[in-house]
Amino acid sequence: MIENKPKPPIAGIIYGEIVYWGVLAGSLIVIVGSVLAFLGDNYVPVSYWISSIWKGETVLQTWSGATGALPNGHWYLSQLTTGDGLSAFGISLGVFSVAPALFLSSVALFREKEWLYGSLAMVGCIVVMIGVLGLAPMPK
Amino acid sequence: MNLRSSATARSESSTQPVPLAKDKKGAKKKRKRTRKNRFWSLVTNVPELSILIMLIVGAYILMGVFSKVESTEVLSASSVWLIIVGSFLISTAIATLAVIGGIGGGVIFTPIMLGFTSLDSLVIRATGLVVAMFSGLVSTGPFMKTKLADIKLVFYCGVPITVGALAGSVSAIYFHEGLGEFGDGLVRLSLGILMLVVAWFLFTGGGKTEYPEPKNIDKLSVMLGLNGSYWEESLGKVVHYQLTRALIGGIVFIALGFIGGFFGLGGGAFLTATLNLIMMAPVKIAAACSGVLLAISNATAIWTYITYGAMIAIFAAPWMLGQVVGGILGAHLLIRIRAGFVRKVLIVILVVSSIKLIIRGVEEAFGINIPII
Repeated sequence: MIENKPKPPIAGIIYGEIVYWGVLAGSLIVIVGSVLAFLGDNYVPVSYWISSIWKGETVLQTWSGATGALPNGHWYLSQLTTGDGLSAFGISLGVFSVAPALFLSSVALFREKEWLYGSLAMVGCIVVMIGVLGLAPMPK
Repeated sequence: MNLRSSATARSESSTQPVPLAKDKKGAKKKRKRTRKNRFWSLVTNVPELSILIMLIVGAYILMGVFSKVESTEVLSASSVWLIIVGSFLISTAIATLAVIGGIGGGVIFTPIMLGFTSLDSLVIRATGLVVAMFSGLVSTGPFMKTKLADIKLVFYCGVPITVGALAGSVSAIYFHEGLGEFGDGLVRLSLGILMLVVAWFLFTGGGKTEYPEPKNIDKLSVMLGLNGSYWEESLGKVVHYQLTRALIGGIVFIALGFIGGFFGLGGGAFLTATLNLIMMAPVKIAAACSGVLLAISNATAIWTYITYGAMIAIFAAPWMLGQVVGGILGAHLLIRIRAGFVRKVLIVILVVSSIKLIIRGVEEAFGINIPII
């Protein structure tokens, strides 16, 4: 008997599609942010960022020279009209797409009564959100 | 867009008999036609990729022509633009090589940058996670659609690997703050040794088996229902598989997540080996799942670097775009490049950067001057 190609589970498709399009949306924002960084306003001048990194300055030295202190948080959310802020937001959006993908995939698994794997996806989502919200203890 | 499995398919196709001399002309024409067809199928099947490439090219031209960036004492305005464009091109090349070689891009980026540049190690590791993650993220959708990424396996291993990745990234910040240059030296030294192990894995092929058959299946794996099936194109039939050693696999994934988050690389070769050799997943399933798991773990670890300020967006942006474009392009256009050749190139890159990392690590950590390279 010839078996048919197995169908992918709906939870997998939901996860994959959200991540794929989230990354592409993030990429578009990064492109716009990069152009804006070279042609328009920036939170910190592009040449400063690149020169500081190029010189091998530490993260603390780079931020101290730019804004006086480390950002300790999602600094770009209040700088979305600037080139570097928008670029950071685009990258973050692409990375963040994993969280809603895990959440909605978990919901789909719960609807299919796959309680164990629905719960595992939800736990994965919670761990990602701990990272996103900066809840892990950091040095002061 | 079956990134990793296409690498396997290529390595299989490289063992096909070479056509006779009289057939060479016809074969050449056929190859040309296939290449053309493949290009057009890429344009029509993945229009978003074409749009993305056009937008990136247009953006970089705009940035070069109408740049308002000012020169500094370190770099001229045109050098800044060249660094951005150069980073994009190198990132695209790394993603393509990584896809064909079946490893994460971070394994190439992070050791080279830590070994051969004076950039801050946290900035490199944060950007390394971007490099490691994005080609995996864009390949997630196609892997899920083709059922090569087993959702049960991904979500089961996803929990320990994300916990490990978060712990690894937080530890990296503590290590950096607490130990300074000595800590950076130790990071370089240990990463150098780790990369030699990766090079060894690539050299030996990690002892992988295409369709492993577990002799004993543990109770936990049965309870979790860790089994599945997928369509094997090369065999033209459905392959069923049963996984085992769920507990050991879970523990190993915590460690692998920690390594990825701490060093800012993916370590796809280790993930694939764990899934294939310990949990007994078929190679294609292991490779696809490792790409998806790599993306999940790095997407957790990178937030520590982002909120700390180690991910400098302007520097990381071209690396991200290169990974997205290279990740998709690599699977579709470079079918003719033999995986075996790429693996050799990767081994050389890894060994050279490992030696440099070990030397710099010893120099920085212990203050010993080694006048080599």
